[in-house]
Amino acid sequence: MCGIVGYVGDDDALPVILDGLKRLEYRGYDSAGVCLRTDPLTVHKKAGEVDELVEAAPESSEATCGVGHTRWSTHGEPTDENAHPHADEARRYAVVHNGIIDNHAELRDELEDRGHVFESDTDTEVVPHLLSEAEGELVERLGAVVERLEGSYALACVSADSDEVVVARQDSPLVVGHGDDANYVGSDVTAFVEHTRRVSYLHDGDIARVTADSIEVWNDGESVDRAVETVDWDVEAAEKGGYEHYMLKEIHEQPRALRKTVSERTDEVEGEALLDVSDEVLAEHDRVEFVACGTSYHAALYARRLFEEYADISATAEYASEYDGPHAPEETLVVAVTQSGETADTLSATRRAAREGATTVAVTNTVGSTAARETDETVYIRAGPEIGVAATKTFASQVVTLALVAVAAGRARDALPASEASSVLADLRDVPGAVQRVLDNEDRVAETAEEYGWDDAFFYVGRRLGYPVALEGALKLKEISYDHAEGFPAGELKHGPLALVTPDTPVLAVMTDGTRPRETLNNVKEVESRGAPVVAVTSSDADEGARLADTVFRVPSLGDMEPLLANVYLQMFAYHVARLKDRPIDKPRNLAKSVTVE
Amino acid sequence: MVPVANAPILEHVVESLAEVGVDQLVFVVGYRRQRIQTYFGDGDDWGVDIEYVVQEKQLGTGHAVLQAEDAVAGDFLVVNGDSLVDTSLVEALLSADGDAVAVTRSDQPTDYGVVDIEDGAVAGVEEKPRVYDAETETINAGVYRFDDAVFDAIHAADRMSLTDALVRRAAEGRVEAVRVEGWTDVSHLWDLVRVNSAAVDGDHDGADVHPTAYVADEVALGEDARVGPNATVLAGTTVGDNATVGAGAVVGNSVVFEDARVGPNAVVRDAVLASDSSVGPNATVEGGRADVVVDGNLYRNVLLGGVVGDYSTVAGGATLEPGTVLENDSRVGTGATASGRVGSGTEVRR
Repeated sequence: MCGIVGYVGDDDALPVILDGLKRLEYRGYDSAGVCLRTDPLTVHKKAGEVDELVEAAPESSEATCGVGHTRWSTHGEPTDENAHPHADEARRYAVVHNGIIDNHAELRDELEDRGHVFESDTDTEVVPHLLSEAEGELVERLGAVVERLEGSYALACVSADSDEVVVARQDSPLVVGHGDDANYVGSDVTAFVEHTRRVSYLHDGDIARVTADSIEVWNDGESVDRAVETVDWDVEAAEKGGYEHYMLKEIHEQPRALRKTVSERTDEVEGEALLDVSDEVLAEHDRVEFVACGTSYHAALYARRLFEEYADISATAEYASEYDGPHAPEETLVVAVTQSGETADTLSATRRAAREGATTVAVTNTVGSTAARETDETVYIRAGPEIGVAATKTFASQVVTLALVAVAAGRARDALPASEASSVLADLRDVPGAVQRVLDNEDRVAETAEEYGWDDAFFYVGRRLGYPVALEGALKLKEISYDHAEGFPAGELKHGPLALVTPDTPVLAVMTDGTRPRETLNNVKEVESRGAPVVAVTSSDADEGARLADTVFRVPSLGDMEPLLANVYLQMFAYHVARLKDRPIDKPRNLAKSVTVE
Repeated sequence: MVPVANAPILEHVVESLAEVGVDQLVFVVGYRRQRIQTYFGDGDDWGVDIEYVVQEKQLGTGHAVLQAEDAVAGDFLVVNGDSLVDTSLVEALLSADGDAVAVTRSDQPTDYGVVDIEDGAVAGVEEKPRVYDAETETINAGVYRFDDAVFDAIHAADRMSLTDALVRRAAEGRVEAVRVEGWTDVSHLWDLVRVNSAAVDGDHDGADVHPTAYVADEVALGEDARVGPNATVLAGTTVGDNATVGAGAVVGNSVVFEDARVGPNAVVRDAVLASDSSVGPNATVEGGRADVVVDGNLYRNVLLGGVVGDYSTVAGGATLEPGTVLENDSRVGTGATASGRVGSGTEVRR
């Protein structure tokens, strides 16, 4: 998972590309580089963050065309040599690449036999050498080269001969931007959104030639038109706006994001959820299988309960990487939950389900993403761009969106009376205000983080809807504070994990409505008697749990959405523990925002 | 953030500044600063650059201005985020010659600093004089033009008071008193009701109004605001984003903040319903005038039906007498009647 940016226009390409790389840094950050179109090509690259590249590169250049890359290693250590772009020996052709070229080893052997000298350990470097052997203009050369490649790629290439960027896409996202006197290339819109909002999303198999005044696209040798769409993403969204970290900014954006999520989607008078999903699709199937990874998987676990409850339908959630395909494809609705819409594991699970004959739905944040294009139906979560690697607002928007789908399914299947639907919808519209109310308690959460932040390990427990929230709370802490944190179903504690509990392992218990708090209370007593401090998140009117716990956070009364509110406390807790330890919160080690390799 | 006609007051201020070319802004933020930062970000949407400095403890306006000491250089303006300023006021200060303060006439000079002016310059300031001490009705509007020498004056001032610093600057040299129109204080809640009703236009885009509901022209409805069947929204009302007016309810001359809810058949007039507050079915805020006490001062006969604070609830069938103020997180129980001031976190029962 890496970031690509390219520019062709009248201005100095270097600052445009470096700025794009800064914006893309959230996608990968162990090395970065640029290639400027000069004759021969000029390459600057550096292991480390983009800032180190900025230091190493000159302030300006004469070039008006070039490409840049920020990398998250899959093949080869993060070193200067392994950083992209990669070029051939004569510096005639240079390439930046996202994805994995599966047959790179044999191509490399073949090229080395013919006398090519490689400078790096990467799979990517075969491409510039192949380009140098091919014939014709750059676009023809790339067309010939991709014939030889197996695997996934978004490639952006420049040659020393002319001002143009030629790109190719297979299973890895790529967009082109239409500017006024310039055109752009990016692995996502963030790369160039401050210059233009008019974009075209490329499809698998597309090859495009981008010059200062034209963008031409071919697929399978045929010229094709890719629709020009206008993104409503704001440049602002990709800036920190006074916050120390994107993650904290995004935590505080949740009320706004959630208002967008529910906007115009609830009709409380009639008790209907207004979504673009056809009622037939929701009514016809007897099973729902969610496939997702990471935080999205936790949203799916939450949703599966809501589907069983509201729509009276058998629903399961599986890790996309563990998915073996639908059990009864014709009867099964497969719902892919993916923030980016590009998560390789989730796409591959969804494709498999579609191949076997299941109907597929994507629940995603990204318009024009692969998941949105490849599935039968798409529901957008409308959370706006999320830059922090640790997902926060998109989890909340995913859960609320999935709850809307569950209500729509319940209505379509005649399983949910209009009056009940109406009250669920009213709750969903109350989520933004209730989240704000939780956010207002940030100071107390920060104090709690200081109190327990240096303890040995952290256990999160909850039942029913509290279970996915426990998992999500633990994941957040792991991701950004590097502490050992585990989420368990509260009832499972006594079947093993209780052995780990000591006076130095705080237990965070989700005990709101929708989590069978009275049963969890017994588990809280179990850990208390082993001396572990307990932080409980409870309903506004719960007394017993509150008396037992060392620290209590309360959520406003909101039925099945209360665990989602509890999660906001856990997000802030993770943030403040990580901040206490001075962790690089927006760029946790070894992690990248969305993972487009399997 | 307090809304007027569906935009925070602060946004109106930023727009006035941006319109006359003041595009480098420093926000001194403290209490609930996250909401402000989340809303304004870096200011790109308004064509300005916003930098934030944090005032950890709210120790007065002079202290607040001091927080910006490292963020500004040369001449700058000091503007309050909670009173409306129009472009003519900003322009008047911009065209002043050196240090200046905006002054204006007020019917309530005892609420403000009364400015003594000689030859167009500040000669002295009397903070909140008693009625018989107020020599003029010319008050300090709290909008200043300074250069960075003012920071020294604030350090030297009594309890870091900005007014005291102003007087010191006036003693050292000339501080022009610029007479302005176009300043509206919104420091009292009844000001909000009045200012809002004057500012609302007919923006109903993005709201969901049931076909049987009636919404008057001079009403501002936010994104995804809901007006239920047979509900009536009368002139002078703002209904914020994602707020709800239930079936058959009547809301007039009121400010309903984001996420707030008015239940079926409730009546709400001349009122302020703060964020995520709730007025239950058949509850009544009848509206009208009352005497209101704020911080020990009595304000007679102000138009204020009532205030429901953030996250507060007026339950079904309950009544607020005119002038009632429910602080944040309080509750008036089913069928109960509340009057006067109800403290934060308390409940009024029948």
